[in-house]
Amino acid sequence: MLTSVFISAVSLALFWMAAFTLWWQMHAWRTPEVLASTRFSRPDGDEHVSFSLLLPARHEQAVLDHTIQRLLESTHTDFEIIVIVGHDDPETTAVAERAAARDPRVRVVVDTHEKKNKPKAMNTALPHCRGDVVGVFDAEDQVHPELLAHVDHAFRTTGADVVQGGVQLINFHSSWYSLRNCLEYFFWFRSRLHLHAQKGFIPLGGNTVFVRTDVLREAGGWDSECLAEDCDLGVRLSSVGKKVVVAYDPRMVTREETPGSLMSLLKQRTRWNQGFLQVYRKKDWKQLPGFGQRLLARYTLMTPFLQAFSGVIIPLNVAIALFLDVPVGIAFVTFLPAVTALVTFVFEVVGLHDFGKQYGLRVRLVHYLKLVVGGPFYQVLLAGAAVRAVWREQRGRNDWELTTHVGAHLATADGIREDVPA
Amino acid sequence: MTSTLPAATAAQVPAQSTPVPTPADGRTPAPQRLRSSRPDLLLCGLLLVAILVVQGWNIADYPTLSDDEGTYLAQAWAVQQGKGLAHYTYWYDHPPLGWIQLALLTWIPSALDPGSLTVGSMRAVMLLVSAVSAVLVYVLARRLSLPRWAAGLAMALFGLSPLSVVLQREIFLDNLAVMWTLLAFALAASPSRHLWHHFGAGLAAATAVLTKETMLVVLPALFLTMWRHSHRDTRKFALTGAITACALIGFSYPLFALLKGELLPGGGHVSLWDGIRYQMTRPGSGFILDAGSGSYGVLHSWLYYDRVLPLGGLAGALLLLLTWRWSVTARALAGPALAVAILAALALRPNGYLPAMYVIQALPFLALVLAGGTASVAHAVLRRWRSEAERRSVAVGRYALAAVLALAAGAYVVPRWYDGDHTALTADANAPYRAASSWLSTEVAHPEDTRVLVDDALWLDLVHAGYRPGLGVIWFYKADLDPAVTKTMPHGWRDLDYVVASPTVRRDARDLPGVRAAMEHSTPVAVFGTGEDRIEIRRIQPATAGGAR
Repeated sequence: MLTSVFISAVSLALFWMAAFTLWWQMHAWRTPEVLASTRFSRPDGDEHVSFSLLLPARHEQAVLDHTIQRLLESTHTDFEIIVIVGHDDPETTAVAERAAARDPRVRVVVDTHEKKNKPKAMNTALPHCRGDVVGVFDAEDQVHPELLAHVDHAFRTTGADVVQGGVQLINFHSSWYSLRNCLEYFFWFRSRLHLHAQKGFIPLGGNTVFVRTDVLREAGGWDSECLAEDCDLGVRLSSVGKKVVVAYDPRMVTREETPGSLMSLLKQRTRWNQGFLQVYRKKDWKQLPGFGQRLLARYTLMTPFLQAFSGVIIPLNVAIALFLDVPVGIAFVTFLPAVTALVTFVFEVVGLHDFGKQYGLRVRLVHYLKLVVGGPFYQVLLAGAAVRAVWREQRGRNDWELTTHVGAHLATADGIREDVPA
Repeated sequence: MTSTLPAATAAQVPAQSTPVPTPADGRTPAPQRLRSSRPDLLLCGLLLVAILVVQGWNIADYPTLSDDEGTYLAQAWAVQQGKGLAHYTYWYDHPPLGWIQLALLTWIPSALDPGSLTVGSMRAVMLLVSAVSAVLVYVLARRLSLPRWAAGLAMALFGLSPLSVVLQREIFLDNLAVMWTLLAFALAASPSRHLWHHFGAGLAAATAVLTKETMLVVLPALFLTMWRHSHRDTRKFALTGAITACALIGFSYPLFALLKGELLPGGGHVSLWDGIRYQMTRPGSGFILDAGSGSYGVLHSWLYYDRVLPLGGLAGALLLLLTWRWSVTARALAGPALAVAILAALALRPNGYLPAMYVIQALPFLALVLAGGTASVAHAVLRRWRSEAERRSVAVGRYALAAVLALAAGAYVVPRWYDGDHTALTADANAPYRAASSWLSTEVAHPEDTRVLVDDALWLDLVHAGYRPGLGVIWFYKADLDPAVTKTMPHGWRDLDYVVASPTVRRDARDLPGVRAAMEHSTPVAVFGTGEDRIEIRRIQPATAGGAR
């Protein structure tokens, strides 16, 4: 009897969790109108906003120059690029200095902090920004030339304080986990973030994010102690009612690569999770005016841990239903979380198809199979990262485990090919 | 670091709102919010009252209690009593969701008065089902872009045709399944094209199928409707969502069998497999157009009540399919027309099994396509090839023609329907049943020790009268077919006290040796009614070999 009550309660809780996550994940496709509203509206040709684009780079001499070149190809006429390098990183500094010598729009700021991290680097550069809007990119990003024009238009027409553009991992063919990683980004930037923007609570992304310079200065820049400074900034700004607009256009997204190995993915995810946990504990989200908003904030910031929990519990639950002698009704209830997981799987498969369509990539049967088969393993990975994050946070270890980039996505710079076997 | 920004009220920020271009389709766009449109509410409300009055008045006494009604209601009673899915072994004859819903619907009345749970009095709950279905027909018609009057026509056809009145009064699983199917269609045609509406359509469709498995054949028409009503950009998510929802709920039935260890046949237990095989291999009832076949008889039993809806609906479907190229109405009603086509094609199988309830699932679609066909004709008469410079006489001619057509149709339909519905409102077909029930309740000294074979329609009456459910009062065919029952009758008919020979029992006794023997060794002690419809209460005569028959 007690077993029955216990597993029913757990199953129902998991069911509702998964159902809400699914509901939010599918936000953009709710109605054709919602989907249409997630796009950038077409720029009118006017330009009024000037940009300061921050490009923190650390040991990224291999990809930095390419990124700067591509940024300089922007059609927008009023922007500067501020490359932030460390004083202990001569190789990257040399690449940055060469670029600055070539083009007056590029400037170099040297970060002299003893212990370095991304928020500190960006805070160092913030006083040097001359533009109306500060934009953040990563050193390995491929930015679309027309992006700035679209963002300019979005700022002017919506009166936004923050514009978040799309970021998309592209190299889905590299490995089974990169496939899932790409799809995660797809659902997050294509769909879920728009819901957050609409609800007035949004954890911002790490790049392709644009903030009005005065708003950013007023907020005191980034939190240099936080491992998810991007998420934190979004939470702080939206919690005090700043208007955030999210726009996603497959043509205009910033293309990135997935971490090069499982271990670095695990580290990256651990860092994010730890960051989310820190943001949760900072309690800025408690200033949100609406109860629903606060609930959404609480839930979103705790998602990694709920995810970890459900990844472990769902198989256990099904096993109980099949092998233990419980009443048929209870056994049915234990299947509920598996049902939502299945629905999520199906939508992921459709999402992969849509992803391929949107980016002109050929998604083969084997990719769909990998997506489905890899699902449980990815869940294990997420669970592992979540457990690891809790552990590290508990032990007070909050140094940065930086992800290294090999430039896998750059091979496909001109027209996407997918001839790299996974 | 804490924020130093001044707190401001968060603006709910929809991203830049971009209207989606809607395909111009249908000349009378349904209002975005049907429930705030006063004329729609008024028309639908008036029709609903009329339907409830016509279907509700005299509901217990007409038509004759059917064996199947008794079956489902008795199983609903078993569910309420916590006896599982049936008081005899549940053998996967139908998915159980139908009578689980019946159990829910009849919960409150039977909790207030347990004796009221009999077929006649519980027909009242079917009014609720009819009401919901009728409103859904209206909503669906509007969502399929029919003009208001045509939506009202569809609702009236669906709810007031004498055929509908007779069949929708009865406690058939098909009526419940029709309600869920209509909900699925209405959600599929949701004007907001919301992902979760389509998902809900899938859930409703699966519920319909688990209520009555024959609804499976209508699913392609539902899919077509959803396809037509979804937007290109979101279609793949909407449709896969709906299919997934439908499949997941649908698979819960085999899962249920699996959890009970009854998925596949095996020694000493029933199985889903056997249940499906039984349904798929039921002896055919002949070709529907072959005079003398069972199917032909069924067809004529439908046409006896009403020709307008079945034949007119078929004609309407044909008209819509033929004018697909030119008529927006035809395209808008593609889903219902396809449903009619599928159901008609299945009824025309050379030797399929055609039960009398078969037409129930076609009724809403027949009504919709007939109304749609009428709207199409009205459009052709009043609007087609009309130009600004049309002469006044031509315009008057158009309206005159329309009026003549409407009057002719009215002159044909109204008297026939009046007769049919008049019978439904006044006839008392169940007096013999009531009398038999009352006789067995009052004239038998020790009901708790009496064993009696009855048809399913009377079973609950006798349970309430104090007979032992299952082995005291016995569904007559279980005496031959259920090993759990035969086991308790080692001496065959000698272990029984009475047989209640209703028309159903007399008909089926031919194929049931045990029941036949009981009939042969019994004599009538009371007879109610006359002719074919009479009900005889026959007492078993152990002494007289051969019986008095």
